[in-house]
Amino acid sequence: MSTRRLRGGRVFDPANGVNGEVRDIAMRDGRIVALEAREPVDEEIDAGGCIVLAGGIDLHSHIGGGKVNLARLLLPQQECRVCSPGTLATGLRYAEMGYTSVFEPAMAASNARHAHMEMGDVPIVDHGAYVMLGNDELFLELLSRGSEPQRLRDYVGWVVHATKALGVKVVNPAGISAFKFNQRRLDVDEPHVHWQVTPRQVITALARAVHELGLAHPLHIHASNLGVAGNIASTLATMEALEGLPGHLTHVQFHCYGAEGPRKFSSAALALAEALDAHPNCSIDIGQVLFGQTVTASGDTMRQHANADLAHPRKGILGDIECDSGCGVLPFRYREQSYVNALQWSIGLELFLQVRDPWRVVLTTDHPNGAPFTSYPHLMRLLMDKSFRDEQLARLHPEVAAESALKQITRELTLNEIAIMTRAAPARLLGLRDRGHLGAGAAADVAVYREQGDAEAMFSRAAWLFKDGEAVVREGRVVATPVGATHFAEPVFDAGVQRLLDDYSDRPLGVHKRYAVIGHDELCSCCNGGRLLPSACAARSV
Amino acid sequence: MEPDWTCPFCSLLCDGFALERGPQALVLHGSDCPRARAGLAAQARHEAPAAWIDGTVVAPEEALAEAARRLAQWRQPLLGGLGTDMAGARALFRLAARTGALYDHGDGETLLHGLRALQDRGQWYTTLAEIRARADLVVCVGTQAVAHYPEFFRRCGLDRPDTPCRRLVFLGVDAPARRPQNVPLQCIPGSGDLLADLQQLAACLGTAPGGRREPELASLAALLREARYAVLVWESATLPAHGALFVELLNLVVATLNGSTRAASFALGGSDGAYTVQQVFTWLSGLPLRSRASAAGVEHDPVRFGGQRLLDEHAVDGLLWVWSFAPERLPPTTPLPRIVLGPPGMGLRLRQAEAARHCVFLPVATPGLDAAGHLFRTDGVVVPLVAARDEGLPGVDRVVVRLLEQLEPQHAARSLGEVAK
Repeated sequence: MSTRRLRGGRVFDPANGVNGEVRDIAMRDGRIVALEAREPVDEEIDAGGCIVLAGGIDLHSHIGGGKVNLARLLLPQQECRVCSPGTLATGLRYAEMGYTSVFEPAMAASNARHAHMEMGDVPIVDHGAYVMLGNDELFLELLSRGSEPQRLRDYVGWVVHATKALGVKVVNPAGISAFKFNQRRLDVDEPHVHWQVTPRQVITALARAVHELGLAHPLHIHASNLGVAGNIASTLATMEALEGLPGHLTHVQFHCYGAEGPRKFSSAALALAEALDAHPNCSIDIGQVLFGQTVTASGDTMRQHANADLAHPRKGILGDIECDSGCGVLPFRYREQSYVNALQWSIGLELFLQVRDPWRVVLTTDHPNGAPFTSYPHLMRLLMDKSFRDEQLARLHPEVAAESALKQITRELTLNEIAIMTRAAPARLLGLRDRGHLGAGAAADVAVYREQGDAEAMFSRAAWLFKDGEAVVREGRVVATPVGATHFAEPVFDAGVQRLLDDYSDRPLGVHKRYAVIGHDELCSCCNGGRLLPSACAARSV
Repeated sequence: MEPDWTCPFCSLLCDGFALERGPQALVLHGSDCPRARAGLAAQARHEAPAAWIDGTVVAPEEALAEAARRLAQWRQPLLGGLGTDMAGARALFRLAARTGALYDHGDGETLLHGLRALQDRGQWYTTLAEIRARADLVVCVGTQAVAHYPEFFRRCGLDRPDTPCRRLVFLGVDAPARRPQNVPLQCIPGSGDLLADLQQLAACLGTAPGGRREPELASLAALLREARYAVLVWESATLPAHGALFVELLNLVVATLNGSTRAASFALGGSDGAYTVQQVFTWLSGLPLRSRASAAGVEHDPVRFGGQRLLDEHAVDGLLWVWSFAPERLPPTTPLPRIVLGPPGMGLRLRQAEAARHCVFLPVATPGLDAAGHLFRTDGVVVPLVAARDEGLPGVDRVVVRLLEQLEPQHAARSLGEVAK
């Protein structure tokens, strides 16, 4: 039994209403404990001059699964290594920045094992994944036949169970499948050329299934028309399609474009911010764009194919996968002097700064799509420092520099708000009750940073990082590399769904049906022997 | 007998066959696949597995200790073969990082065609379930497909009455005897120069310049344009030198078709753990095989770090060869000292081949036969394997972990952290 006390740091723990007060934080056996100030401990650490936060939680970062690995194969050049690091480097860089949990948002159902294997090889951080549904032929066929909601629910529950997912994601609802039938675009109320179902129907049905199964994380939505000028209309229509049920709209920066102005491409950040006020059932993460070389990796083959000519360097990978998903990997360089890229940068920041409720906004770059996750500290400074932001804005394409709404936005995010967007809010949105905060009983994932005026420097290197109570980073250097744990949901569903699977396929999820479900032992071996953290689900009704 | 065995002997990883325990060998039911049968026959047990040092049989522990002692003395080891599963690959990467070894797969030269094309231009690919569901035209380019992947057409569903496939075309090869009965077949012999034929095909589609156009290739181009979902199948092992040019051109044809209709390529390759190890080493280090993980980071050179080339040029001073599949596939002959991890039958052959000098042999399990495991299918899907028998053999992962434990502590200087720079 070892006990540690972090003495005298300024604590930001928004989940428990602690906002920068000087407090001691004590840890014992991997948990935060309430300890009297005089009680002796095994190790006392002077955290004077430091801020103390829960370990960071990234709820949308492509760290594992086929796509990222294809990106690595595609980009052996040195200059691209930052955007497609190996799993070992990924875990180390996250830890150095004070992050302790990272979630892969786009796990192909047919290749869940691969995703779990890669995540298991990302050291230090805990992980989990959202399985992609809503483009699998079986779901679309069930929907087109007018199947009962409980049937759809049971099928979704089975897929979550089989793939050991934490949540469910939909990518370009019905659009990835439609592209396999040579459909090149799909609006929210447009029917899939073969199955005759609309993205709206897919969203409504999946949101209901996720809700009824009692999955903690709302349906994770990569909406229709990613990157298309004027797509704010389909984004707002997607919010309506939820019919009041919870939904998390991801990388909204890419879905927040108007078609105004001489270039028919404009910011719709304010419209989305207002829509969020009107839809308390919705949360978002941003998918901030930052300048430089990166690689885009998405299941959205329909949109990635449309953008293939923009790849830099000029190459890319596109794939149709096992009747359940797709894969598009395109390298990309965001340029300050590009009107579109500069506006994308501005729109992301506008969203961060214009959405009123920080508990429904999560800080992401959609790694590596908007920028590598290693640029989070830079992003935090942009959000916390108006003059720094203005300096950056002035360097951009002159029309954006002159007209961006950012010029008028004076808001600077506080440390408390950063702690919400990078810790407390993602934990709450994922249902991780013992993560993302520093209350007694929480897991002792604790990040300590030396307080300084430059937020970028501060958040680049944690002074200490504790993972489940053990020091893993000291002065920005990794000192231990434990294997992270795997979060997954355990929904309850009618076992009779097996008959449905038998009727439709002899090879559910692409393999012999006997091996479709990943059992706990197999998950453990895929995940490199890390702990399994199942979360029970309480069924709900609409 | 439950049809619950997954065959590890090629990268189709067919699941759904049954195995019967015969007096000596395991007997396959549900398929007449010659590759599976040969794989099983070669692994029939006649003698107890034996570890040996320089040809002398010793206890496994003794061989392991000697292997670790020799490995620690090599200044620049080569990890070759790498015929193993996911768990073996994970362990071998740790060993590579710890010893600063160069690494390449036994079929690295073949693997290179697809990799170079991918690194230069990318690819358009599809998977087996997609072919079964929607491919109305399948074109095998320069490969009979079933010569090395006997169950391929069955896995594509071409033997099913409800297959959407309306035509199966072979370009540049004869039609194989083993072929689906329900799908109309067409053979285009071509000029004998596959690359030139593919260039003509691309020219017919308007993607590359070209003069003379064979009517048969022009009609194939028309078929491809009219197809709703055409699949162009190629096989890395049948490509000539500079096969990357072929793969690049093939992907260009596919990309062009996708301008108006749907099409994809499908690669046959990556058996014997090649795709698996490629995937695992790539995700761990960020770079593919033919690399070296050292304190300075990971260095990748797809040409210079070719395994055979390194041996030929004496750029390494020891070979650790891992091949847990076919026992008849012996490590390359070399005057360099060797440590070999292979199925028991390989140990017998190596000793008989008088190649046992300066060699330590450690018997290991074959994934999917002696042990459970995971392999990457030719289309990228990870398939779980089950054990069909228990001969008490350790997996590659276990042997490599024991080697790591026995290496001298000072050899452990290169931590995973340093490799991840």
